[in-house]
Amino acid sequence: MTAARVAPAAGDGATIALEGRITAYTVAPIWRAALRTLERNPARPIVVDASRLEYVDDTGIALIFDLRRRPRPQGAEVTIENLAPNIAALVEGYDPKDFAESYRRPPPIGIAEHIGRATASVIADVRTMIGFIGECTAALWRAVGQPRTVRLAGVVAVAAEAGADAVPIVMLIGFLMGVIIAFEIGLVAQEFGAVIYVVNGVGVAMLRELGALMTAIVFAGRTGAAFAAQIGTQKVNEEVNAIVTFGLDPVRFLVLPRLLASALVVPLLSVLADVIGIFGGALVMLSFDIGFLQYYTQLLGAVHTKDFVLGLVKATVFGLVIAAIGCQRGLATGAGAAAVGRAATSTVVTSIVWIVVLDGLFTVLTSRWGV
Amino acid sequence: MTVSVSTAQAPAVSVRNLTLGYGTRVLLENASFDVQRSEILVILGGSGSGKSSLMKVLIGLYRPLAGDVLIDGKSIVTARGDEKARLQRKLGVMYQSGALFGSMTTLENVRFPLDEFTDIALPEKNLTARMLLRQVEMGYAEALMPAELSGGMLKRAGIARAMALGADILMLDEPSAGLDPITAANLDRTILSLRANLGFTFVVVTHELNSIFTIADRAIMLDARSRAIIATGAPAKLRDSSNDPRVRQFFNREPDAVLRNAEI
Repeated sequence: MTAARVAPAAGDGATIALEGRITAYTVAPIWRAALRTLERNPARPIVVDASRLEYVDDTGIALIFDLRRRPRPQGAEVTIENLAPNIAALVEGYDPKDFAESYRRPPPIGIAEHIGRATASVIADVRTMIGFIGECTAALWRAVGQPRTVRLAGVVAVAAEAGADAVPIVMLIGFLMGVIIAFEIGLVAQEFGAVIYVVNGVGVAMLRELGALMTAIVFAGRTGAAFAAQIGTQKVNEEVNAIVTFGLDPVRFLVLPRLLASALVVPLLSVLADVIGIFGGALVMLSFDIGFLQYYTQLLGAVHTKDFVLGLVKATVFGLVIAAIGCQRGLATGAGAAAVGRAATSTVVTSIVWIVVLDGLFTVLTSRWGV
Repeated sequence: MTVSVSTAQAPAVSVRNLTLGYGTRVLLENASFDVQRSEILVILGGSGSGKSSLMKVLIGLYRPLAGDVLIDGKSIVTARGDEKARLQRKLGVMYQSGALFGSMTTLENVRFPLDEFTDIALPEKNLTARMLLRQVEMGYAEALMPAELSGGMLKRAGIARAMALGADILMLDEPSAGLDPITAANLDRTILSLRANLGFTFVVVTHELNSIFTIADRAIMLDARSRAIIATGAPAKLRDSSNDPRVRQFFNREPDAVLRNAEI
């Protein structure tokens, strides 16, 4: 393989000799040298001799075209000699006028436009969310009125995937929550000789707060994101369009089963988290010399049915909200594979924000009402 | 074709006793064929006959169950690491959906291999990329993002990107599927012109009959049921004088029932 070479010749004009094989890997120095020759001889004619050129690829063609297209004063033109006719045909296929303007990436948007767009998208988001909540409520209402219209197989399939498969992770998180709060409160309570009240703390915290909260957070990450990704992929693949053009309602078809399954499964999972968390607390209390029986007796006096029911209500609401956000984000997915990822991420973030906000709201209301 | 003087004596692509499949499901058994330099070979066959899988083995993405694939005489099946990457860079590949990178404009996609593997200065890289885009009639879309392009545009930009590093063996997976007839015909013309002027070698997976008759020097036909290459030859010859009814059926675009009646 001959190395390609640029040889500017002495004399009246300058000559650039292109030799050998010019490929993407070898073209860079040749291109630079050739442009330098052009620059150094602004007023002299330049001859590009291609007689010993063996092979060019697309970059070589671009090089020859580039030399030919450069604007030069009269009498100082670049002429290309001895170019094989097939290469010449390729080079002549391009019009220098088409390349007069240099390529510019579309400019990034400014701060003002950024803020404007963000505001507009938040407003649009709120509007679609309100509309979506309306559609979901209507669908739920219809489902209650005409239970036959609910696709029960869909509900069961979603419940199995979102519920049964989530059991190990919910058990692990619930158990660790129980262990951690028992231990933390235990260390403090020990100083005041009030270790037995740790049981109250663990019981109330698990039933009223942590069981539902931790389950909801796991559910948002595991299932809410999956809802968004599944429906988002269906949107990208035009499956959602297919549902609509069959005259079917995507909310009834895709959203309702997920809403119902989530409202069913999250409370169940949160009960599991409650039980296993309280058991974790009991294990820790053994190290504070409080046996299982004593723990159990103390627990019965500390927690009430209303605590348990409050946890269930919270879990149901969280489940509905997470499913709704996941489905809405899925249905609102834009074009392309990246959009599906964005929908999933946005679901998790929005869900967690809403879980915490709603949990705060529950706390305010229950303390007002003395529940 | 004086420019395409190649020192390599070996066929551009050589497939030896190849068996491919997934797990226990064999798609193709003991297939052998060569692709000569500057040849346009079309791989055809019905849906599910393993055309795209064969392509993925040729470019070294999948490992075959048995057999070997030689690119310029070197095995891409046994090659590892840098050696494999070097072999793969000899191949320009256009994937079925274009496979453009979503975060870059069309032009940046085409420029990407030049950015990664060459020292060419930016304005010159931009020029090269734009010329490549013109070649596939995509000049107007250089500043658009892939999400803004249609399926056919993505494919054409994919071809431009495949050619950027001067790979002289181009592998195209269903280049004209989903294109309008004019764009498809233009694409065929581009392929023929690249071969005529630059001596490129093409391996094209397709079942667009018009395109096959226009561009293919030779076609190999895969069959799902017999898991083998059931025909090799010039497409027109296969259509007119193949002894195999499945081959004639394919080229004459006959539905299954007609074939059965004809056989009775």
